[in-house]
Amino acid sequence: MEEILRMEAHEIAAAVRAGKLSARTVLEATLERIAAVDGIPGRIGGDPEAEPDKIHAFITRTAERARAQADAVDAKIAAGEDPGPLAGVPFTVKDIFVVEGTPSTAASRILANYIGPYTATPVERMEAAGGVMLGKVNLDEFTFGSSSESSAFKPTPRNPWDTSRVPGGSSGGSAAAVAAGEGWLSLGTDTAGSIRQPAAFCGVVGLKPTYGRVSRYGLIAFGSSLDTPGPIARSVRDAALMLQVIAGRDPHDATSAAVPVPDYLAALEKDVRGLRVGLSPDYFRIVRAEGGELVEEPLPAEIKQAVLDTAERLANMGVEIVEDVPMPHNRYGIPAYFVIARVEAASNLHRYDGVKYGYRTPDRVADMREMYRKSRGQGFGLQPKLRILMGMYVSAAQYSERYYQRALQVRTLIRRDFEAIFDPEGKYRLDALLTPTTPTAAFPMGAVYGDSVLMQYADQLTVAANHAGVPGISVPVTTDADGLPLGVQLLGRDFDEATILRLARAVEDAVDFKPQITQIAQK
Amino acid sequence: MEYEAIIGLETHIQLNTETKIFCNCKADSWGEPPNTNICPVCTGQPGVLPVLNKAVAEKAVLLATAMHAEVQRVSYFDRKNYFYPDLPKGYQITQFDRPIAIGGYLDLPMPEGYTRRVHIIKLHIEEDAGKTKHANGYRLIDFNRCGVPLIEMVTGPDLRSADEAAQYLIRLRQLVRWLGISEGNMEKAHIRCDANVSIRPKGADYLNPKTEIKNVNSIEAVREAIATEIQRQIREVEAGGKIEPWTLEWDEDAGVLRKMRSKETEADYRYFREPDLLPLVMDDEWKARILADFPELPLERRARFMAQYGLPEYDADILTTERALSDYYEAALQAYNGDPKRVSNWVINEVLRLLNERGLSADQLKVTPQYLAMIIRLVDKGTVNTSTGKALVVKVEDSGKPPKQIVEEEGLAQVSDAGALRAICEKIVAANPKEVEKYRSGKTSLIGWFVGQVMRETRGKANPKEVQKILRELLG
Repeated sequence: MEEILRMEAHEIAAAVRAGKLSARTVLEATLERIAAVDGIPGRIGGDPEAEPDKIHAFITRTAERARAQADAVDAKIAAGEDPGPLAGVPFTVKDIFVVEGTPSTAASRILANYIGPYTATPVERMEAAGGVMLGKVNLDEFTFGSSSESSAFKPTPRNPWDTSRVPGGSSGGSAAAVAAGEGWLSLGTDTAGSIRQPAAFCGVVGLKPTYGRVSRYGLIAFGSSLDTPGPIARSVRDAALMLQVIAGRDPHDATSAAVPVPDYLAALEKDVRGLRVGLSPDYFRIVRAEGGELVEEPLPAEIKQAVLDTAERLANMGVEIVEDVPMPHNRYGIPAYFVIARVEAASNLHRYDGVKYGYRTPDRVADMREMYRKSRGQGFGLQPKLRILMGMYVSAAQYSERYYQRALQVRTLIRRDFEAIFDPEGKYRLDALLTPTTPTAAFPMGAVYGDSVLMQYADQLTVAANHAGVPGISVPVTTDADGLPLGVQLLGRDFDEATILRLARAVEDAVDFKPQITQIAQK
Repeated sequence: MEYEAIIGLETHIQLNTETKIFCNCKADSWGEPPNTNICPVCTGQPGVLPVLNKAVAEKAVLLATAMHAEVQRVSYFDRKNYFYPDLPKGYQITQFDRPIAIGGYLDLPMPEGYTRRVHIIKLHIEEDAGKTKHANGYRLIDFNRCGVPLIEMVTGPDLRSADEAAQYLIRLRQLVRWLGISEGNMEKAHIRCDANVSIRPKGADYLNPKTEIKNVNSIEAVREAIATEIQRQIREVEAGGKIEPWTLEWDEDAGVLRKMRSKETEADYRYFREPDLLPLVMDDEWKARILADFPELPLERRARFMAQYGLPEYDADILTTERALSDYYEAALQAYNGDPKRVSNWVINEVLRLLNERGLSADQLKVTPQYLAMIIRLVDKGTVNTSTGKALVVKVEDSGKPPKQIVEEEGLAQVSDAGALRAICEKIVAANPKEVEKYRSGKTSLIGWFVGQVMRETRGKANPKEVQKILRELLG
């Protein structure tokens, strides 16, 4: 069993396709692992402190569905058919995706009783490729957060490296599950860093593809112009394998792009010699708005050093490192995101009104308005409420110009920063930008939660890619003084995931940190 | 004092696409049970996304072109946010500040002889909401209509009377049917209308506060509601009162306007760009494809029928009510190759009656334009008399057989042979001495009765003129 768990996803798929390993065997080994490490799943009204040494990645486990899928894969093998590139690979799905016949909760009371009537495109593609869905994993309510602590389903996920710490978020259940060996792959979403930040916190690989690369159909929307589904995996190769399956145009998503999907696994084999990778001073400091002033602080030395060490190792492999690349609008990423994402979120959350599905207040109500008020008031947690209020405010007719329209202009400027550094005729002609993924390693549970502004600054180094739409990947490179993993981020050109995957693969080779199942610890 | 009314109309036109605007559900649910044409997309399930039905944009371009509006190369979709149970997403996808077409006008020829030009401010695409019904203390919601494609068109304050407003709707309905973009049936709410009404002293150049009349759903109702409101405003002002910007509802049965619950504050819909849809890019190639078969418009055709064929305005107007009818007329005229007015009479009297009786459109007739031309020719040549000709129109429609074949099979050819007719007339005269006596003593109007007897004897085939001539001679 240990041996199966230590294999990579591409190895599992190859062994299953070759008939050397049955999908059912892989699944049962995984279910045993989950039984051993995960503890009770999150639920409404659950005890947040229950089993503090367990991971609690799941909201819903779908073991029977998984067994049926695994058996179907094995039956195909027996019939001489190819089940596909994910044959027998167990995976989890962030519970922000709708999956037919399963609770699809968005980690919110308001959708706690909602059973999906259809299946999200990326999940459908993974299942069609032979993947075996283990269940739905926990997250911040409606993805609103960076620690997974705002989930209405308690206990919330814990970081396998140190269960007293958060796994990050909002795809915290995804990253924690993958790090703890509860499935090889997880389908996450990234609106400001929600794949990359938890991946960095949990010592795994997280890829936010280009906006439009992966269909959003079935992704319960937060910030529709920013939301991007993507893979979380233990190795770069496995992330590439998963992207291969989920990428590409979907007729159900008008914003999915008809750009051809290259062979990502083949791209990994190419040499990185001669590629140009930039370092930007604007990614080595963090800027917070405090009392109307922008306060600049340097990043912790360990974080900066991890990036510089990675750059040096890449340089040794023949990569050209370009220093002092300006990204002047990076500092406005969070404030602009604050506005844009909230305007979209407030509108996206309108549909949860107690009329058609989801939570409706059991209280007696005098009229429809009161039904709305009570259903939404009782159904939404704090984070959705704050975001709705803010979103309503900044998109109101009299403020829209001052906040929302201005935020959109900032977004354009951020996009131009990236266009300038990737311009093949420009001064920098970069293939990628190398930055830290997060300003800190995983923080203790409860340390930041409650300060929603501070929490947001966890996304400071990742959010610009969402504004610009460009792809980004976080790869673990080392551990800090507390033994917690640190990640670096590679940001690339539109639809050029192949190049950042190739560089990430080189980083994985060059650094001492290797893909692994974390020894679950409590420090 | 003399007043003039200032009226602007906001119309919603339901397009006749096969499927809804953003999903693959059937668009037309008329007469179907509630919640049968629905899917995750149009019921606003979590995670779904809209995908634009291109036919909607194409129909909008047709209407915009017909209204002489400027089709925009790039237009955008926006979200109009508000809570209502039959609006499942909590926002309506519409077009706000960058609609698919801007400007334009429609010229209304008024029966009084003048032409009123109505300016179009904008024309945009949007989705319809569902329907709410109140029953037994419950709100029942039918989502079938959610996502049915609409065009909203807003006029300038250019209309000056209830009749002009009605005329605008008549012409608009004619146009949307003509273009084939909507069934244009107001009873089925394919065209819905809100009217903004104010009055001012005739000739003044300022605008007074207006009232809005919501959801008036027939042309007659629009005319009555506006006329009623104009009179109310005049009475109010004459009495020294002020016009408040009310929203009114027309109670058709009672023939009165009722004040709707007034909004405490102006609603803020928090419009913003719909991030789930790309900008709608109407490039030249696509536009050219849409407009490749753009038809001659009803008012243009009406004018041409008058100029080219010398038809009276009345005829031209009727013949151009429906595109199929005017096509029918021209095809029949071409086949007939003779007096346009003669063909017009046959179409307006016989063909139109048939269409109305059978609820058909002209392109569905088995009496093709060619057959009609043959029938008129048969009458012209005296092969059949006029009343047989008229009957032939119905017979051809019933059987689908060529007119000549029916004439032969049923022996309908007119008896014009003077000898044969004379024999019959003599027989009739001999058999009715009383009537002959009355006729001869001065009651000459009995000639009609005699003709009728002969027609009966010949089962309608006799040439009535010939019969009359012979009878007069015999009755002397």
